[in-house]
Amino acid sequence: MSTLMYLARRVLQAVLVILIVTVVVFCLLHALPGGPARGILGAQATAQQIAQFNHEQGLDKPLPAQYLYYLRTLASGDLGTSYTLNEPVSTLIVQRLPKTLVLTVLSAIVGLLLAIPLGMWQAVRRNKPFDYAITTLSFVAYATPVYFLGLLLVLLFSQVLPWFPAQAPQGDTLGQVLSDPAGLVLPVIAGAASMVAVFSRYMRAATLENLSEDYVRTARAGGTRRRAILWRHVFRNSLTPVTAMLGYYVPVLFGGALVVEQLFNYPGMGLLFWSAAQSSDYPVLLGCVLVISVATVVGTLLADILQRVIDPRVAGGRS
Amino acid sequence: MSAKGGPEVGAPILDVTDLGVTFGTDTGDVAAVRGVSLAVRPGETLALVGESGSGKSTVALAAMGLLPGNARASGSATIAGTEVVGASDGTLAGLRGRTVSMVFQEPATALDPLTRIGSQVAEVIRNHRRVSAADARREAVELLRRVGIPDPERRASAYPFQLSGGQRQRVVIAMAIANEPALLIADEPTTALDVTVQAEILDLLRRLAAESGTGVLLVTHNMGVVADFADRVAVMLRGEIVETGDVEKVLLRPGHEYTRRLLGAVPRLVVDEPDPAHPNGSAAVGTEPVVDLRGVSVVFGRGRRAVRALDDVSIAVHPGETVGLVGESGSGKSTAARVALGLVAPSAGTVSLFGTDLRRARSRARRALRAGIGVVLQDPVASLDARMSVAQCVAEPLLIHRRGLSARERRDRVADALERVRLPRALADRAPRELSGGQRQRVSLARALVLEPRLLVADEPTSALDVSVQKTVLDVITDLQGELGFACLFVSHDLAVVQQFAQRVVVLRNGRIEEQGSTGSTLRRPETDYTRRLLAAVPVPDPVLQRQRRADRLAASAGPSA
Amino acid sequence: MSAVLSPGQIEVGEPAGVTGLRLAVRRFRRNRLAVVGLGVVVLFVLFCFVGPVLYPTDQTHTALHAVNLPPSAAHLLGTDAVGHDELGRLMYGGKVSLLVGLAAGALATVIGMAWGAVAGYAGGWTDSVMMRVVDAGIAIPALFVLLVVSAILSPGIWGMIAILGCVSWLVPSRLIRAETLTLKNRDYVLTLRAIGGTHARAITRHVLPNSVSTIVVATTFQIADAIMLVAYVSYLGLGIRPPATDWGGMLSAGLTAAYSGRWWLIVPPGVAVILVVCAFNAIGDGLRDAFDVRGRA
Repeated sequence: MSTLMYLARRVLQAVLVILIVTVVVFCLLHALPGGPARGILGAQATAQQIAQFNHEQGLDKPLPAQYLYYLRTLASGDLGTSYTLNEPVSTLIVQRLPKTLVLTVLSAIVGLLLAIPLGMWQAVRRNKPFDYAITTLSFVAYATPVYFLGLLLVLLFSQVLPWFPAQAPQGDTLGQVLSDPAGLVLPVIAGAASMVAVFSRYMRAATLENLSEDYVRTARAGGTRRRAILWRHVFRNSLTPVTAMLGYYVPVLFGGALVVEQLFNYPGMGLLFWSAAQSSDYPVLLGCVLVISVATVVGTLLADILQRVIDPRVAGGRS
Repeated sequence: MSAKGGPEVGAPILDVTDLGVTFGTDTGDVAAVRGVSLAVRPGETLALVGESGSGKSTVALAAMGLLPGNARASGSATIAGTEVVGASDGTLAGLRGRTVSMVFQEPATALDPLTRIGSQVAEVIRNHRRVSAADARREAVELLRRVGIPDPERRASAYPFQLSGGQRQRVVIAMAIANEPALLIADEPTTALDVTVQAEILDLLRRLAAESGTGVLLVTHNMGVVADFADRVAVMLRGEIVETGDVEKVLLRPGHEYTRRLLGAVPRLVVDEPDPAHPNGSAAVGTEPVVDLRGVSVVFGRGRRAVRALDDVSIAVHPGETVGLVGESGSGKSTAARVALGLVAPSAGTVSLFGTDLRRARSRARRALRAGIGVVLQDPVASLDARMSVAQCVAEPLLIHRRGLSARERRDRVADALERVRLPRALADRAPRELSGGQRQRVSLARALVLEPRLLVADEPTSALDVSVQKTVLDVITDLQGELGFACLFVSHDLAVVQQFAQRVVVLRNGRIEEQGSTGSTLRRPETDYTRRLLAAVPVPDPVLQRQRRADRLAASAGPSA
Repeated sequence: MSAVLSPGQIEVGEPAGVTGLRLAVRRFRRNRLAVVGLGVVVLFVLFCFVGPVLYPTDQTHTALHAVNLPPSAAHLLGTDAVGHDELGRLMYGGKVSLLVGLAAGALATVIGMAWGAVAGYAGGWTDSVMMRVVDAGIAIPALFVLLVVSAILSPGIWGMIAILGCVSWLVPSRLIRAETLTLKNRDYVLTLRAIGGTHARAITRHVLPNSVSTIVVATTFQIADAIMLVAYVSYLGLGIRPPATDWGGMLSAGLTAAYSGRWWLIVPPGVAVILVVCAFNAIGDGLRDAFDVRGRA
C-alpha cells in the first residue's frame, strides 16, 4: 500500500472517530440538567428565553435533525458562549490551547528523553540492583497522583530551596508564557514524571524482548560487540513498539495537563476546563472535551505516522 | 572438499573434548549434553544428527560460545586452537565472524528487520577488517552476488522483509562467509525451507565450502540432508554421541541400534521403478465421493492486495481412499483442506460433503453432516485446549453430536478411542501439557475418530514430530483406516510420506492443481516439469544414491536457471 | 501456508501433577514485589474495614475544640480542620477508595470483556465499528469526561462506581479483543468448528476460559487505575461529596494545610494512595508474568 493510500485511510478513520466523539458530546449535551437550553443559557434563564432558544436551535425537532444542526454549528466554529466569562468558547480555547500544547509536548519530550535511556539501561542490567531500584521508583512515580508530586516539588524546590517559582508563568499570549522558562520547570517535571515511569517500563520490556531475538544472535555470531548490537540494532527495533504506545498515551497526557495546570495555575485549557467545572459552565466544558478529543485523535495519528517512518515494514504494507 | 576426497590430514579446526552443558531450569538442572567429543578438520563436513532434545544444537551453540544465560558448559571446545568454553566476550567476538561463523535455522527472524541487508553484511566485514564504509559496502554487494542474490547492487539496500525465505538464508550465508572463516557451523540451515529451496541452499553451501576449504559442522535431523552433504556423521541421543563414522558407513551399515531404528523410521522416497502394487485408478471410482471440491477458488483480501489462494481447484475423495495433497509453502494445500472442512468459504465453486452441497444445506443440517468428519491439524500444542483433560478433549465431539449419551457411556467411548490410538487409559485424566508431541497428536486422532467418521482430514499431522514418532502416528492411522474404513484427505509437504501413505496424490502449485493421479504413477513418472523438479530436490538418506540424484538434478538444471 | 515446525519444539511433556494453576502460583510467589504487593493490599483492607472496630473515631460530627492538632497520643495522626481524627479518617476514606477502586475496576473489566470478546469473535464489519467506538472513547481523555459527568450528575459512591466503570472499560476491551482474535484461530477452536460445534460452544468452552488469565491481570491494573482516577476527581472537587470522603478528597482538603506545615493532613493519605496503587500494579505485574500473558508493560 502506498504511503498516500495509507494516509488517506488513516485520516478517514480519524474523521470517523471524531464523528463518534461528537455523538458522545451531543449526548452529554442532552444529559445536562434541565436539557441543553438551561445548560447553555444558564440557571437564570427564563422559561420564555428557553422556549425561544429551543425553537431557534431546532431543539423541538427530532434528535437526528438536532444532531445534524449541531454538527453544522460546530463546522462553522461555533462552540457556544461561556456564561461565566461572557466570551465565545472558541475564542477562549484558541487563546489557551497553544499553551497546553506547549506544556504537554515539553513534558512528553523531557519524559521520553529520560525514559528511553533508563529503560534500555535497565534491560541491559536486568535483575541487578540498578534495575530493581528504577523499577521500584517507576512504580512509585506511576502511583503518585500528579498533584501530590507537584505539591512535593513546590515544597522542596520553591519553599525549602527557592530555585523555581511555585506559580507557572502568566500571560495571555504564548510569548509571555515562554518568556519565563524558570516558571515552566516544575510544571513540566510534574507532567513528565508518570511518563518516565510508564515509558521506561515499555522501553525495558521492548529492549528485553529484542535482546532475545534471533537477529541479536546472528549479529553476535558475526563478531559484533554487545554495545554495538545494542545501539545499532536493538535500540531502533525497541523504539517501534514504544512509538506505537505513544499514540495511546496522548489522552493520558492531556488528563495530566488538566491537573498540572490547576495546581500551578498555568493559564491553559486544563485550567479553563477546571474553573468551568467548578461553576458548571457547560458550553466551555463540552467545547473543551471536543477540542481535547480532536487534539488526541490528531496526536495519535501523528504517532502512527511516526511509527511508519521508523519501521519500513509498516511502510511496505505489512503490519 | 568432496565425499570421495577422503579425510584430509591436519589439525582439526574444531576440537571438542568431553563437552558438557547443563541448563538451570524451574524444575532443577538439566544436563543437555554429556561428554561429547568430536573434531572437524579443514575442508571436511561433519554432520551432527539426532532427534529433538538430543542436544545437537546445544553443542553447536556451545562451540560458538552462544549458549543462553542459564547454561553452564564444562570440558573443552577449541576453534583453531583457541578455547571457547569460558572465554571472555572479547576473545569470542574476535573469533566469531572471522574464524568461525554460523548459519541458523530460521531465516525469517535471523536478520535485523530494520537494517538494510547490505549494511548487515558490511557490518560483519568491518567487525574484523579495517576497511572504509564504502569498501565494505562494495564488498558486501560482491558477497551477495556470490551467494546468488540477483541484482545485488539494488538488493543490498532492501530490508529483510522484502526478501523470500530462501534469499534471506542466502544473506545469512553471505554474512557467515564474509571473512572467509575456517569453520562454518550450520544449525538446521534448511529445515524452515521448501525442498527445492533446500536443495539450492545445500548446493550453495557445498560450493562455498569447497571453494575455500572451510570445515563445516552441520547440525540436522534430516538424514537426506546428511547423505547429500556430509563426509562424516556423529549420531546423538539424549545428550551423548552414540556413533561416529564415515557417512556411507553410518547411513548404510549403522552400528548402533539407535541409528538403525532412526534410519528405519525415515520415510524413503521410492524413485527407481514404477510400483505395480498401486495400479492406476482407484477402486473407488463410481462410488459417490465423501467430499467433492468442484472448481473451487479462494480469494483472500480485496482490491489490489487480494491474494488468490486457490484457483479453480477440483478434488474428490472417495470412500476408503487416502488422497495426498502436496505442494510447497504458499501452494494452497492447507487452504484446500480448510475449504473441505468448511472453515474457509470458497469465492467460487461448490463443495459437497457426503453428497450434500454445503451451500444448500441449512445450518443445523450442515452441522449434523460434520459429525462425519474427523480432523487432525499440524501443531500438537495448539490442537488441544490446555485447560481440558485428555478425556474432555476426546469427549468434545460426543458432547456435540451424541447428546443422549450418559456420562458412563461417554467415558467408555473415550476409553475405547484412546485404546484405538494405542494410548493407555490412564492418560485420560492427564493435562495435554504433560504429554509428549506424539502422544498429543494421538489424542487429536482419538478425538477425530471417536465418532467413527467417514472422512479424516489431516493437515500436516506429523510435520512437527520426530521421524520415529511420525512413524508411530502414521502406523496408527493406517491400521485404523483398515479397521474403520474412513477416507482420508492428507496434507503434507513431505513427498516420501505421501508416497507411502496415499493412494492418490494431488500436486498443488500457486493455488492451482499442477497434476494429480495415483501415487504410484504421479510420484514416480511425473508428467509435469514442476513435479519432476520437486521430486528431484528431495534428498534420500543413501549417500551413494543421493550423489547420483544430485548429479542428475544439476545436469537437468544446468544452464539458465540457478 | 503450512510453515514447517522445527522437529523438536515439543518432545517430552512436563512432569505429571503440576497443574497450570499450581505452576502459576509458584511463579507468582517467586516474584517478591508481587508478594509484597499482595501483603500491602491485605493489610490495607484490614486497616480500613477492621481498623474502625479497634480504633473507633467520630467521623460525622465536627469537633471545633480540637482542630488542626498535631499527632499526639490521643490522636495518633493529629486532627484535620474540622476536628476529625486523621487516622480514623484515613480508614474511613480508605474504605471508599478501596470499594470504589475494586468495584469500578471489576465493572470496567466486565464491560470491556463483553465488548472485546464479541468484537474479536465476530470480526469483519462488526469488529471495525465496535473498535472505532473504542477509539473514540479513548480519544476523550477519561478525566475530562469524568469531570463533566460528575458536574452534571453529582453522583454518590455507587454512581461514581458506575461512571468510572463506564469510562474505563476501553483499554481492557482492546486486550480481550486481541486475546479473542488469537484464541478463535487456535487449532482446537478450528477443529471444533470443523466438526460442527456451535459458536456459543466455542466462546463459552474455549475462548472465555482461556482468557481468564488476561481478564484477571486486566482487572488488577484497572483497580489501580480506578483508585487513581477517583483520587483525581475528588482532588478536583467533583468526586465523593462531603461528609463522605476518600483519600483523594483528603488530599484536596489538606493541600493548603501542607503549605502551613500541617504535614499530617497530606502525607498519610498521599502515602496510602501510592502504596495501594503500587501494590495493585505489582500484583498485576506478578500475575501477568505468572500466567505468561501479554498486557501492559
